[in-house]
Amino acid sequence: MPSFSAGLWENLSHDIHYIWPHILLMVAATLMLWPLDSWLMPWTKAEKHKWALPTLAILVATLGLTLATPNGLGFSAMYKVDGLTKGFQVLCILGSIFAVMLSQNVLGALQEHTVEYYVLILLGTSGMLFMCGAVDLVTVYFSIELMALCIYILVAYLRHQGRSIEAGMKYFLLGAFSSGILLYGISLLFAATGGVTTNLTELNQKLALVSADKNLLVYSGVLMVLVGLCFKVAAVPFHMWAPDAYDGAPTPITAWMATAPKAASLAVFLRVFDTGFHNLSYDWTAPLMVISAASMILGNVAAIRQQSIKRLLAYSSIAHVGYMLLGVLSKDAQAGAQAVWLYMLSYLVMNTGAFAVVIYLQGKGEGERIDDFRGMGKRHPLLAFAMLIFLLSLAGIPPLIGFFGKFYLFLLAVQQGFTTLVVIALLTSAVSAYYYLEVVKQMYFKEPATEDGAECEPMDPYAKWLITAACTLVIIGTAFGPQLLKWTDDIRWFEKEAPKAAVFELPGK
Amino acid sequence: MSGSTQLMLLATFLPLLGGLGLLFVPNEKREVFQKASVAIMVASFLLSVPLWFQYDRGSDAVQFAYQCAWMPSLGVKFSVGMDGISLLLWLLTTFIGPIGALCSWGNIDERWKEYYVWLLVLQTAMLAVFIAQDMFLFYIVWEVMLVPMYFLIGIWGGPQKLYAAIKLFLYTLAGSVLMLVAIFAIYFLQHKTSGVYDFSLAGFQAMAPVIAQQTKTFQILLALAFFLAFAIKVPMFPFHTWLPDAHVQAPTAGSVILAGILLKMGTYGFVRFLLPIVPEGTKELMPWFLALALIGVIYGALVAMIQKDMKKLVAYSSVSHLGLCMLGIFALNPWGMKGALFQMLNHGISTPGLFLAVGIVYERRHTRQIADYGGLSKTMPIYATIFMLMTMSSIGLPLLNGFIGEATILMGTFQTWPWVAVAATSGIILGAAYMLWMYQRVMFGPISEVNTKMEDLNLREITYFAPLLITAVWIGLYPKPFMDIMDKPVAKLIQQVRPDFYRAESLAMKQAEAAKVGMHAMEAPEGEGHQAKPEGHEAKPEGHGAETGAATPGGGH
Repeated sequence: MPSFSAGLWENLSHDIHYIWPHILLMVAATLMLWPLDSWLMPWTKAEKHKWALPTLAILVATLGLTLATPNGLGFSAMYKVDGLTKGFQVLCILGSIFAVMLSQNVLGALQEHTVEYYVLILLGTSGMLFMCGAVDLVTVYFSIELMALCIYILVAYLRHQGRSIEAGMKYFLLGAFSSGILLYGISLLFAATGGVTTNLTELNQKLALVSADKNLLVYSGVLMVLVGLCFKVAAVPFHMWAPDAYDGAPTPITAWMATAPKAASLAVFLRVFDTGFHNLSYDWTAPLMVISAASMILGNVAAIRQQSIKRLLAYSSIAHVGYMLLGVLSKDAQAGAQAVWLYMLSYLVMNTGAFAVVIYLQGKGEGERIDDFRGMGKRHPLLAFAMLIFLLSLAGIPPLIGFFGKFYLFLLAVQQGFTTLVVIALLTSAVSAYYYLEVVKQMYFKEPATEDGAECEPMDPYAKWLITAACTLVIIGTAFGPQLLKWTDDIRWFEKEAPKAAVFELPGK
Repeated sequence: MSGSTQLMLLATFLPLLGGLGLLFVPNEKREVFQKASVAIMVASFLLSVPLWFQYDRGSDAVQFAYQCAWMPSLGVKFSVGMDGISLLLWLLTTFIGPIGALCSWGNIDERWKEYYVWLLVLQTAMLAVFIAQDMFLFYIVWEVMLVPMYFLIGIWGGPQKLYAAIKLFLYTLAGSVLMLVAIFAIYFLQHKTSGVYDFSLAGFQAMAPVIAQQTKTFQILLALAFFLAFAIKVPMFPFHTWLPDAHVQAPTAGSVILAGILLKMGTYGFVRFLLPIVPEGTKELMPWFLALALIGVIYGALVAMIQKDMKKLVAYSSVSHLGLCMLGIFALNPWGMKGALFQMLNHGISTPGLFLAVGIVYERRHTRQIADYGGLSKTMPIYATIFMLMTMSSIGLPLLNGFIGEATILMGTFQTWPWVAVAATSGIILGAAYMLWMYQRVMFGPISEVNTKMEDLNLREITYFAPLLITAVWIGLYPKPFMDIMDKPVAKLIQQVRPDFYRAESLAMKQAEAAKVGMHAMEAPEGEGHQAKPEGHEAKPEGHGAETGAATPGGGH
């Protein structure tokens, strides 16, 4: 008779290979937090930002481990590794890597560095990794909480600044509220299906058999889960927290929040709606369509009036989520996941790039108002050009990568019959061109505010390297934009389904 | 890839490559930028000339075609080529390019590097629009074109440049995104009927019969989506409001390119996309389109009449002239179509000439108000002569290019919509009035103290006017080569839009012959006449067949 610990290990080792990346992140974060920081590296105490490099190394290692993880279902069918999991995990890790790179001291976005900052990023990332693979509503809930708690703290990280605290508080209160709604929705669904399962696949089968008198439970359950998730991706009308949280958070964290958690939440969205609620007679597309349209319209229209570049990007991110929900709506889950992933990838690169420029300027002591971009074309030619590329790409002007993201997404949506939504999306993206170009206007068409500002200022080599790299990524992405779809065609996003030909493929291929 | 195709691609992409090369030249070397940009444009023009001779006028196929796979899984190809219609406008673009670069030497006093680079990028994008044979490629270059123009106006424009630049950008963008939805819709319809995913232009045009079988609402929506995108670009009334702003604020080269080429893309879009792809939907909406075009002709002319600013006057004259082009296109017969295309060419020569002429005095006095001038012909005789010729060309004086185009358009329009043609004539009369009135106020009368100091044209300025003048006179005297080159493509287009048109026409000719020989009018062609009738409201059986204009379609009145 095996001992208890041997038995535990035996059962654990059966599935543990699915979560090595998470284990690495958590162990490393814990070690960093306590023994390493206080005992082994006392000399780094004065310069905590030295932790950035180890953090980067850990994240890169996690990326490698993630790619090497085998596909499969584990932990009593609560966690699953397939194309969707891996694809979105890669996006999350990339987002975190970018965030750590943006937090560097030379950029001066943070006044103080503590080890907790990096630890929280690592723990948050592990939460996201779990979210991407969650195939059980309970896993979904727990992993969302793991991620969100880390972000709440990070938003309020600049504890000497009132607005950072305010942002953290607001985000925390509303976030806790929405988690409650999500949990309540989950329990309603659990009850409606007879209190047997929270596993998405089984839930899907059970939901089909629910008797008519329990319909209300299912309807409200689905709706509450939808609301909870929409809150996490900041879709209208559950977006209230986003502008304030984005504005108050340290800018690298804003960049992170706009990309990595969104990628993870969209993965959950795709998983829950395209596995759990797939082919339900309860039509959840209607509310989602309304939410998607409202996000596009409100996000883009509200962004016009913003004076702060961070708030502008916050509202634009709401609009981008509106576009991506089109992919969730797709009845063809495979193609939907593919289009959302491609869009998220392009958004990740261009949005991070835009934030990098903002962070650099902030570090130079310049404000974050759009007016402060005046004459940047003269003062920082390289920076202004990079920003131009990012903004045009965000606006979806061809041939930049952002256009390809939109193109695939909208093409799919038209094919799935959401023509009205696509018309709204395209018209509002024309509106978005207005506010993106407003920044371009300040950079290139307006003279610098001060006389001495007319000189071309030298740039820090690290910042120069970082921004050139991001800009190059967008341009490379542009060059390979047409091929992206083909490359991702081979990924089987939902492992369970028989590998079918991707939607866009020509017959006979 | 044949030699001609290589030439075509080289001439198209040379400006872009040159522009990228110029990025490595240090900022302060103004002369290098000026000379290099002109040299690149001229080189591109010279490369494009041989295609004029190599083009096979006897064929209506897309020539110099080249295609390679680009996004195979979506059916997107990098597909280029041109027919006579594209060739003419493409050559016009390479022709206007050097003039635009040359006329910028004097008035671009800051940020030369960016200016010439944007100008060259714009040139490639415009050239690519005319040779694109794939809807996806077309959409991309169509949108890309906006960015350089936005910068040209936004940085180097007049006092209201910011407003004008963003207005131009948003108007055009809003129109073209709707077109994208229409493209998607046709793309999936095509897949539903034929099972292939294909973005090629030929494939889209072949969809016309299938689209014609869809519901009326679907067709009308498609037609509207395309119409809006192109009508904004043309611009047709009431989508024209961006044009005066953009023109007035743009630097001279910007106006030249805007008037010379960009506006033609709208009309080109009608001819290349809207008519062949959604012919039935277009016919359905024809009364509305006609009304808008006609209002444009007359309203543009009336508004031009009261302008105090010369550039604005010329801008509104463009609205009027392009309205006339639209009428010619909507006549849906070879004469109207050819006249419209021909008039696009003429407008692309005379209006840039006028903008250049306005630019000349603006460079010297920094004002465009007509009231500030007067009596210029005394101190600037060469200028006055050139301005005169350009004015005459614009108002359509015989022996200059404008006349041929206007006459052909009216001829074509009259056959289909007689009353519209009659009304449109007033636009031409008004055109003569406002142009001559402006000329009179600027050139004649007493001259003020300041204006006596104005210098006449220098060699550089004469250099960029010369090609325009020569072409204007050449076309005016001997338009045949230009007409010939679009003969076949226009015939093909009319065949696509109105499949019964040529049948009805040949029937009419037979009847005419029969009448001439003295046979009984109805006998010989009777049998054929019945076959043609079911489709055609065209052939009028009640006539004695003697009238040559029996091809008059009755529909739509």
